[in-house]
Amino acid sequence: MAASVERLFTAASTIEEALAARRQGAAVLAGGTWMMRDPRRGVDLPEAVVALHRIPALSKVEIEPDHVVIGAAVTHAVLGRALRAAAGFEGLVAAAEGAANPGIRRVATVGGNLCALDFAAADLAPALLACEATVELQTFEGSRLLGISDFLKDRPALLTEAMVTRIHLRRDLIASAHIRLPLRQAGDYPVAIVSFAVDKDKRCRIAVGSVEPVARRWTALEQAMAAGPAPALDPKRAAELALEHNDFQGRDGKEAEGWYRRQVLPTLVRRAVAALLKTEGLAWL
Amino acid sequence: MVVTFQLNGEDCRFDGDPMTPLVDILRQERFLTGTKAVCREGFCGACTVHVDDEAVPSCLKPVGLVQGCAVTTIEGLSSGNQVLHPLQANFEAADAVQCGMCFPGMVMSLSAFVRDNPHASRPEIKAAMVGNICRCTGYERIVDAVADCLDQARKAGQLVGGIHV
Repeated sequence: MAASVERLFTAASTIEEALAARRQGAAVLAGGTWMMRDPRRGVDLPEAVVALHRIPALSKVEIEPDHVVIGAAVTHAVLGRALRAAAGFEGLVAAAEGAANPGIRRVATVGGNLCALDFAAADLAPALLACEATVELQTFEGSRLLGISDFLKDRPALLTEAMVTRIHLRRDLIASAHIRLPLRQAGDYPVAIVSFAVDKDKRCRIAVGSVEPVARRWTALEQAMAAGPAPALDPKRAAELALEHNDFQGRDGKEAEGWYRRQVLPTLVRRAVAALLKTEGLAWL
Repeated sequence: MVVTFQLNGEDCRFDGDPMTPLVDILRQERFLTGTKAVCREGFCGACTVHVDDEAVPSCLKPVGLVQGCAVTTIEGLSSGNQVLHPLQANFEAADAVQCGMCFPGMVMSLSAFVRDNPHASRPEIKAAMVGNICRCTGYERIVDAVADCLDQARKAGQLVGGIHV
């Protein structure tokens, strides 16, 4: 136990207070489930941290008729419960309720999941990509909104001087699904994740996590699905298109090698479309 | 930094590194060794405690985050000289405990679960145990004991607000 360490710990009660601590060099501490494992990875814990759990604005989910706002300090468990009755967000709910294990889900936050730079298997990243989420950042110059694809691409640089405060979602989905492949039935990191959503214009949005170092949209498959003849949402046909348009470079990791992560994607796409067809929003198909 | 919180109903004061994992304070400063530090990564569940009534892994909880909170460990659920929590009594009756390493965490996770889910099904019980690993592989008997505990509470008409100590 490192009881003699002189560490600066600020439990901020406002975003301004958190930013002031960031300006002094403090690292953001959310649930702690990633940062507290730094010593296991051979990384020292930061000398100064600022905790966000006492900032009320960051710990709530606001559900409006046309949009949803999620505070960065909302836990997976709270997010899953809050959105369970919100049609169209089945995929995001499945991501929040299927990640890690129940104890971690009560602690790990939305912001933490998106800001852990080396965490390729984050469940919320592909789910929020499929929702076309907008990330609200607080910088030293003010607040800034950024599409989640751009945020994920640029986050190493962005997070040096900004912190994520909220996630904004439009309520324009009619159905979504989130399919993950862990090696055990549950409780470990998924080898690959496919998040699939259909919006009100019947456009498919597909995102993949855990296969490459950073989650991303599967635009080649989205375009192929859009170009295909009706009915496009056929599980078998979607899996064939996924095989044909698989442009992923799988990352090697201790759970699985890269080729395997890439190879399972068509099967996960088939499962995702089958799950979509069972949702209330697409039951008419 | 000084951190104060309630520990098993009593005031607790810690003066040291606020990033110290809660499990280390429980075991090394308070000698509450029922909470086990096994994987230290949040995967095994052996270090599960209640923080403000929620079952969470204490290995990943920096003590700075429990300022002002109520922490309950397995020792706070029942001292052993008192009446056992209904779940503990069922585990004992079902002879569900094997080596005992995972059990404090198992009891802490599942005691919160039965409190909040008095009508839980068998698959729901299993889903609640995902984060508690038993290397003796005695899961089925544990699930049986939880299901029995819920059945008994239902028959006794205790289920309006769930099972409480």
